[in-house]
Amino acid sequence: MPVASLSNSPSKWVVLPHYGFAACSFLILSVLLLFSTDAFSGHYFHPKLLTLTHVAVLGWATMLIFGALYQLLPVVLECKLYSERLAYYTFGLLAVGTVLLAWSFWYFQLGAVLHVAGCCLFVSFLLFTINVLQTARQAPKWTIEADFIATSAIWLLLTGFLGLLMAVNFTNPLLPHDHLQYLKLHAHMGMVGWFLLLVIGVGAKLIPMFLLAHPKDTFKLNWAYNLINGGLVLFLFDGLFFRSPLVPLYAGLVVGGVLLFLLYLHDAKSQAQRKDLDLGMQQTLVALGLLVLPLVLVFVVSVDLGLPPAVLSSLYLVYGLSVFLGFVTALILGQTFKTLPFIVWMHAYQRHVGRYKTPLPKDLYHQGLLRWQNSSYLLGYAVLVAGILLREQTVILTGSLIFCLAAILYTVNVFRMLLHKVHDLKPFTYGNANA
Amino acid sequence: METQTPDTGQLVLDTLKNIIDPEIGINIVDLGLVYQVSLDKQVLGVDLTLTTPGCPMSGTIETAVVQILENRFPEYQVQVQLVWSPMWTTDMITDEGRRQLDRM
Repeated sequence: MPVASLSNSPSKWVVLPHYGFAACSFLILSVLLLFSTDAFSGHYFHPKLLTLTHVAVLGWATMLIFGALYQLLPVVLECKLYSERLAYYTFGLLAVGTVLLAWSFWYFQLGAVLHVAGCCLFVSFLLFTINVLQTARQAPKWTIEADFIATSAIWLLLTGFLGLLMAVNFTNPLLPHDHLQYLKLHAHMGMVGWFLLLVIGVGAKLIPMFLLAHPKDTFKLNWAYNLINGGLVLFLFDGLFFRSPLVPLYAGLVVGGVLLFLLYLHDAKSQAQRKDLDLGMQQTLVALGLLVLPLVLVFVVSVDLGLPPAVLSSLYLVYGLSVFLGFVTALILGQTFKTLPFIVWMHAYQRHVGRYKTPLPKDLYHQGLLRWQNSSYLLGYAVLVAGILLREQTVILTGSLIFCLAAILYTVNVFRMLLHKVHDLKPFTYGNANA
Repeated sequence: METQTPDTGQLVLDTLKNIIDPEIGINIVDLGLVYQVSLDKQVLGVDLTLTTPGCPMSGTIETAVVQILENRFPEYQVQVQLVWSPMWTTDMITDEGRRQLDRM
């Protein structure tokens, strides 16, 4: 009978600071949103929108994903994280790079500070990629989930490299085409190559695990991987060398890949032994539902429908918003409560389990706050999208205020868990097992 | 699940029902994670599995089993072995475990 190894979990200090930083970034993002209502009436290349986007993707989403991934990589790949030291350096560089980048964009200072920020971020992504690939090399068996995760890290590195080139290009022109062309490539490498592939790689393992389902057929995942990467590579080559009208075709490949992933999850859901869905999983399903909007909008903005420029401009903004503040944010808001309570619980109660009656991970956060957080997030997001489409600053401000409420509730709950202390444990009395 | 000493084995299983899988909320016995309980002289052995390889809770659940059995059966030396064969599937959940899942 093969004997299993002990837990591969890293130290809590590798993981938990990411959650704290990400929660603060989310709060700051929502406050910045309140002061940026005027920015949503024009083109997406706007200092405030650049700031909001980068605080959202770096300080909020990427920061939290890095932290969660250090905990989840050993679960998905079934081996220890390659280096905790690299993870600390990655965290520091990402934090510094994000703050400097946000400052540079908000005040539109495109000189040395922006260059330093770009370098910090690129080195951070490089260290992260090394850590992920080296961890994957130790995996006892290579799976399609490992393909997704390793490839997403490489796309992140490429996104960061192009971002650094663009930062330098502001003051020292070195790129042959116009800046906006690279911005499109940079944004899609990040959205599709980094976020989408990573979410699929981790989600394909974790979502069935949380549902108590074991789908074995990886055919759909294999083709999802091929289609998404194929579509993205073709889009990049076309954008760099040809600029043909075939972009909707490449978008179709990516959308086809996402649909296959959703079908895989549907299979898992139909096999699920666990029919109840807690608030974290409900929010995860909401996120998957919100994915429909960018999947539709990608065709609307890439096919020439003869829309007026003002309408097209609003649709571009909603397209970006639907990825970062829609799908990615909704997913993180849900998955935070599927990961953080367990990490905190494990480190707090490891020594006490079996000796004392301990609370469950779900007891470490406030269910009521989470319910209000999920509702206010969805309402705020919907109002925000409506405001951008209607080009009404008052509606945008209303959406931002509701969004801010969601961020406050989220931050309170996250810090409630991060600052959790063990107290008043009662010893076991035997013979009355109650579960 | 196999127990080599019926009386002690049942007592061990009853004791292990106090350990709740933190994610699923069901005790590890009804979840089907306890494969075998054995008593060899003074050594109380438990073969245990997890719902998925690489589970971050592996260390915690293993520690819980050791600590609760050492506390309940101080006269025995407790040995817990994590095993992956046969691989856990949802078919291993007991009828009582399924009833608890349905009630959630």
